[in-house]
Amino acid sequence: MNGWILAAAVTLGGGVGATVWGVATGPLRRRAVAQNLCTAFACPALLLLSQGYDRPSYVDLALVLALLGPVGTLVFARLLADELAEDPPSAWGLTYAAAAVGAVVVPALCVAVGPSRAMAKLLVVGVLLIGGNVVASRALSGGFPEVRRG
Amino acid sequence: MNGRTTLLATAELLGWWAALAVLWLVFISTVDTLELVVGAGAAGLGALAARAARRAVTGR
Repeated sequence: MNGWILAAAVTLGGGVGATVWGVATGPLRRRAVAQNLCTAFACPALLLLSQGYDRPSYVDLALVLALLGPVGTLVFARLLADELAEDPPSAWGLTYAAAAVGAVVVPALCVAVGPSRAMAKLLVVGVLLIGGNVVASRALSGGFPEVRRG
Repeated sequence: MNGRTTLLATAELLGWWAALAVLWLVFISTVDTLELVVGAGAAGLGALAARAARRAVTGR
C-alpha cells in the first residue's frame, strides 16, 4: 500500500461508489448524471492505480475510458432526449468537482513521471477526461438544442 | 479539382497525418522501427478518414 493506491481507493470508493449508488437509485435525470460522472471518477482512479502498481498499461484503460465514457453519455443524451427535455439534468457543481479530481490527479502524476512521452500521454488523457466530461454534461443539460432536431 | 484545391487537400491530409502520427508516437510504449512504420500507415488511414469526416460535417 502506498499513497497512490490509497488515493485510488478513496477515488474508487468515494467517487465511483457514489455514482454507482446514483445510477441504481432515484429518478432518470439523476441516473443520467451519475452514469456520466462514473467514468469521470473511474479514469483518475485507473491513472492512480497505474502509478501505484507501476504498470503503465493501466493508462491505456484510462485513455479508453476517458474517450468512450463521454461518447456513451452522448448516446444516452440522444436516446433519452424526449424524457430529459422536460426537466434537463443540470449538475455543474458535480461536473466541476469531477473535473477538479482529474485536474489534481493528472498534474500530480505528471510530476511523478517527469518530462517524457508518458507525461505527454497523461496530458492527452487529462484533456480528454476533462473536456469530454464538460461536453457530455452540457449535452445532458440540453446545451446542444440543434442536435435534437437531427 | 484544380491545382489549388489539390494543394489544399494535400496540405490538409498532411496536417491530419502529422497530428495523428504524433499521437501514435505518444501512445506507444516502446519506440522501434516496426512501430513507426505501422504508426505512419495507421496515421495515413486516419488522415483520410478525418478529412472525409470533416467534409461530411462542414458539407464542403
